[in-house]
Amino acid sequence: MTTSHAAPRRCPDVPHHAWYAAATTEEVGRTPLARRVLGTPVVLYRAADGAAVALEDRCAHRPVPLSDGRVEGDDIVASYTGFRYAPDGRCVGVPTQVQVPFGASVRSFPVRDDGSFVWVWAGDARLAALRPAPDTGWLRDPAWSTFGGAWETKASIGLLLDNFADITHVAHVDPDIAPPALDAAPPPLQVTVTETTMRFARDYPPAPLADWNAQVLELPADAAHAQREEGELVSPGLWVDRWHTTVSGHGQADGVHTFVFTHALTPVDERTTRHVWRVSRSFASSAAAEGTLAPIFERYYGRVREVLETMQRVVDADGPRPEVRVAADAAASAVRRIMERLVAEETGAR
Amino acid sequence: MTITSSVGTVVTELETEVVVSAVRHPADDVVELTLAAPDGRPLAPWTPGAHIDLMLGEDLVRQYSLCSSPADTSSYRVAVLRTPDSRGGSVAVHELAEGAALRIRGPRNNFALLSAPRYVFIGGGIGITPLLPMIEEAETAGADWHLFYGGRTRASMAYLAELEKYAGRVTLVPQDEQGLLDLGSILGTPDAQALVYCCGPEPLLAAVEGSCESWRHGALHLERFAAKEVEREGDDESFEIVLQRSGLTLTVPPDQSVFQTMRDAGVSVLGSCLEGICGTCETGVLEGEVDHRDSVLDADEQEEMDCMMVCVSRCRGARLVLDA
Repeated sequence: MTTSHAAPRRCPDVPHHAWYAAATTEEVGRTPLARRVLGTPVVLYRAADGAAVALEDRCAHRPVPLSDGRVEGDDIVASYTGFRYAPDGRCVGVPTQVQVPFGASVRSFPVRDDGSFVWVWAGDARLAALRPAPDTGWLRDPAWSTFGGAWETKASIGLLLDNFADITHVAHVDPDIAPPALDAAPPPLQVTVTETTMRFARDYPPAPLADWNAQVLELPADAAHAQREEGELVSPGLWVDRWHTTVSGHGQADGVHTFVFTHALTPVDERTTRHVWRVSRSFASSAAAEGTLAPIFERYYGRVREVLETMQRVVDADGPRPEVRVAADAAASAVRRIMERLVAEETGAR
Repeated sequence: MTITSSVGTVVTELETEVVVSAVRHPADDVVELTLAAPDGRPLAPWTPGAHIDLMLGEDLVRQYSLCSSPADTSSYRVAVLRTPDSRGGSVAVHELAEGAALRIRGPRNNFALLSAPRYVFIGGGIGITPLLPMIEEAETAGADWHLFYGGRTRASMAYLAELEKYAGRVTLVPQDEQGLLDLGSILGTPDAQALVYCCGPEPLLAAVEGSCESWRHGALHLERFAAKEVEREGDDESFEIVLQRSGLTLTVPPDQSVFQTMRDAGVSVLGSCLEGICGTCETGVLEGEVDHRDSVLDADEQEEMDCMMVCVSRCRGARLVLDA
């Protein structure tokens, strides 16, 4: 039994009973990796058979991070104290006595390694078995070409979700990346909700592509194509956007060409979010195309990060305020309600 | 009136094509359908207490609780009692055979299981269905729980075999053997740590509501399949609604619902049962006092005045500002 300390709930506005990408699959190995998930320090490593392990990153004996220690077999051994912990968090050896202190353990997090992300269940470990981890199979599908980046954004996950739920700001953030389809008044927003998910879509009448997009599709810059934008809250820690371009009358280039933008969002604390982004495309798989696209998206998501960090600074300095809502907020409102409901269920709050 | 561009926004619930992948009869007059996507892809995730609409035909849409496990998104299961004298939904469901295709809408959840150390589950007849995933969740979370399950006869009570493994936590009360559930002894002593979840026929719900009057506010959670009787004081009056996101101000006439007024103005608002039962049309309230007439929100939730069911509820004053 572990002692429970009645600490205030960290990241109170975020569902804890959810899977969050604590790391990418390739980041976790035999060297301990330190991360913070919903305010809790987590150490990730792989046991001898390759299975990913996630433990609270703090020795039960003295306040040293386990991530400063070393992995031996299936276990992790803390530096300084020498306490040894098994993958289930139990202390299985201490250097100074034969008897292992009764009940000594650190918190162990349920883990799902899907080959793209190491998902960590941040809430009551027992309930993890009742909630499937989200699927991002396209990231491992050879039919898709993928690049991406990762960083911490000094802004709450709520600010990131609000941003993804309404990308009509894109032209203000980065005029060069913005598709000309966004120049006109936005077409009707179609929002589709379930208890735990939200999708939105907009169908744009034929419009030219941004120069970079026409270039990788090897299409004339001024040709117009129908385009469809989709965004989806798959789970609290996973947002997926899609951009479909339907090309016809251009010979071999004809067909539907799709970008999938994957955003794994993991609250580090109340005002910091780990953001792993991936851009996958069903077309132009060449390295040259990636050479064109990667810097463009790196710059765009970097600018998004700057804007969100500015918003967080404003909120930190002057407090939150009721916001005027507009029609384009329908998707963001739906996302907020889903998050609020999930939090209310798990906290029992009214 | 000119409709602003905002009215182009359409909010709908997810509709999914499914096929009936299995049919079972877990009790007399009860059919259980397993529903899966034709391509085998996972269905939308849900939590205990959720329900879906089965779209059984033109103007034949019925709500049924999911009784499978949220751990398995490869299919949903619903169990439906045949009630020949009702509005025809259950008969249509009983006619569905393996391989039949239909559309579903949702899931949505107005009966969510809030985290608590202790639960009292009370099921009447087919009202056992939403309680099954709740029991799985409570058991998995290590909560202290007890199920009181009443039905006409043992043969009419679904899922008795599934409940056997919880023997010490389940009290079965077939009416022909033991009479009605003894609510006086079940709920007589309020328990500050426990939440009560009850689903069943209206007389059971009303009796449980009565027995829980001395319990703390918010302890009781009910799922209704028929609208609660609401007492009306005098005739309805007209009032103004301000739809903040749409940028519209509309007048709701005495003989029309907020829902209909919004629809007529081209504003997208979800609706399903239009009787204040299903919770689909829940709309955020930013200002004003709501005259709640629904069967979804409990007394505490109604008092909070932060949302309303626009299909039946109205305004106590002259004006409501809605998040729509």
